[in-house]
Amino acid sequence: MRAVTLYAVVDVDKCKGCTRCERVCPVLAIKVENKKAVVDPQNCLGCANCEQRCPEMAITMAPLEQSRVVHESLAEVDMAAVIDLCRRAHLHPKQIICYCTATRAGEVAAAVLRGAKSPEEISRRTGVRTGCKVECIQPVLRLLHAAGIAPERPARGYQWYGLTPTVWDIPEEVKKKYAQRGFYFDEDRKLLDSLVGAGEKGGE
Amino acid sequence: MLRAPVMPLPPRRSQYGVAPELVRKRAAELPDMVSVLVRDLFPDAAPVIYPGENGLEMIREATRKQMEKVDLSMIKPGDSVNVLGSHHGFTLLGGAPYAEMLRTIRDVVRERTGCTDIRLRVGVGLRFRESEEYIKAFGLDEYYEGKAAGVAPVDEGVAIETEIGTLYGIKRIYDARWIIHAHNSDVREVHFHRQVDRAVKPFGMSYARIETRSTYHQNLGPRAANFVARAIFDSPFVQEKFACAVFLMMSPSGVVGVDADNDLYALNDRVTYLGCRDYGKMMTLLGEIDEAITILDFPSPVPYVFAAGVIFANFAGANRDLFDLDDPLPPYTWYTEAFYGEDGQPLIEGVPPVNPAIKVVIHNYAWGGYPSAFFTEHIPTIVVGREQAELLNRDPQNISYTKHTLLAEDLDTAVRFAKRVAGTDKILAFDGASGALNVSRSLGEYLLQKAPLVSRRVDGELLPKWLKQRGIDPSRFKIC
Repeated sequence: MRAVTLYAVVDVDKCKGCTRCERVCPVLAIKVENKKAVVDPQNCLGCANCEQRCPEMAITMAPLEQSRVVHESLAEVDMAAVIDLCRRAHLHPKQIICYCTATRAGEVAAAVLRGAKSPEEISRRTGVRTGCKVECIQPVLRLLHAAGIAPERPARGYQWYGLTPTVWDIPEEVKKKYAQRGFYFDEDRKLLDSLVGAGEKGGE
Repeated sequence: MLRAPVMPLPPRRSQYGVAPELVRKRAAELPDMVSVLVRDLFPDAAPVIYPGENGLEMIREATRKQMEKVDLSMIKPGDSVNVLGSHHGFTLLGGAPYAEMLRTIRDVVRERTGCTDIRLRVGVGLRFRESEEYIKAFGLDEYYEGKAAGVAPVDEGVAIETEIGTLYGIKRIYDARWIIHAHNSDVREVHFHRQVDRAVKPFGMSYARIETRSTYHQNLGPRAANFVARAIFDSPFVQEKFACAVFLMMSPSGVVGVDADNDLYALNDRVTYLGCRDYGKMMTLLGEIDEAITILDFPSPVPYVFAAGVIFANFAGANRDLFDLDDPLPPYTWYTEAFYGEDGQPLIEGVPPVNPAIKVVIHNYAWGGYPSAFFTEHIPTIVVGREQAELLNRDPQNISYTKHTLLAEDLDTAVRFAKRVAGTDKILAFDGASGALNVSRSLGEYLLQKAPLVSRRVDGELLPKWLKQRGIDPSRFKIC
């Protein structure tokens, strides 16, 4: 769940149309048109990625007159399907996957089951990836992948590049090779498995 | 051995914190505050080269001396070199020693190789302009002749093939023929990396794209995650560019030296040993504290504020031995945070609670720019000043931080209230004071009493165990 309280404002006199903002926006809410950045206030979730990366300091964050909340409801969703999708992605439905917005895996799974087909779409519906913008891309990709969806990267964008390995993918020879150096692959897998398989509490 | 409080460095002007003039009183100015020097707690602590009477000259000299033993012959006059730094280095002792090391590296490379295309690339955490602020504040852009830049994990990426699959680095980190890894050895977030491959970690963090960081924090588990950085560093892509590493060697007392090596793993072993030895004692001592009001008072985000070289997030986990790898889950990491349900109850058994010795936190001065709501959900917190609360309310990473906090008009009021509700007069300030802990008199006396026992326990029992867990033979460092 994401409380949206800010939106991006472009100073067109400073903007040089470099497209950096467009390339880093996690919800595709800013676009360069006629060599000037234009914000779609309906879709901007106030994450400040554009403000933080604009080389001309042409963007500021302004308070919304009326804040809004972005949230994918778990009501009227098939909870068995949510749990199943989360478990196939090695996630527990109740576990937080976005620390800034406290978005849990189940909420993202619900968005996927209701038709979201890309990280950008999922972010617009749940707010995930709009806090620190750094830490939650992999669980989102894992849930899409588990649902059999291969999302398309935004053309020319830096929003995300691809799925990366998990502890369930570490080759045995790698585990063996580094076993003495403080890497606890099997033990951590066991710990994460215990979370994924944790009982009814997570499924309710 | 209780001394007058050591005054912390002044507040820093930054877009991530309130204006310095809004920080009206520091914890060190409170009545009854005293200072305990690290050297008084642990008389065998390694001698420091900075702070000291010769100032930054000692850093310059140590960097030059250490770099003498490093082979730079692979760098040719027409090559390009990226000196890779991290914003974290600038939070140590005000940032000047790290900046001096970065300047000296440039000078030495230029003198010894004839290379002129030397750039500085400084990675960041979650505050994407922080490195730019430091580069400007320390004049590094001029020193590097306009070739110094802050790079962020959302910037253009580059795919790196590793032993465990594809991971992603930041393109501008690797856009030179050679890279020099210029970092520091402070243990910082030992709750995350557990002092496993500390010297390698920036390859999976400061120099990495969001996919890699997300892999570290979400895909591998609290201890296996450290492999992410090693996988990237070991890749042919990075090995082909790696020239050497130069580290500012830190301890709770200050800078103990500079270390440099062409072999990062050799340097890594030395960093592991010193980190476990010096910070291990301080952290074990903090784990002995039975109750305390904690004051955050340093220009960094909540978990990263310092006391005698140790950050607050580690105090939040000091009820466990964070160096002991047999213990799977620290009281605070993002893995731990993920293991709590919406009702605030752990989803599985065995999730350790946040350090119950921390009775109240007073947020006198700390930045946003890092998701910190976990701390206010788990520890009663008082924020000093409306401006500071507003700063956090506007921070996309801390939308719900103040949902669980109280607001106090000033520090004195906050402290009076905290003492009343916590029923203790023990105060510990995380204010970055150098080589010392600023504490209330009662806590100072308590720490001085506990320290000798902690020291003996670390030397005799814990340090050998910690090193063995990391594949380091304790006899190499004459510990058995």
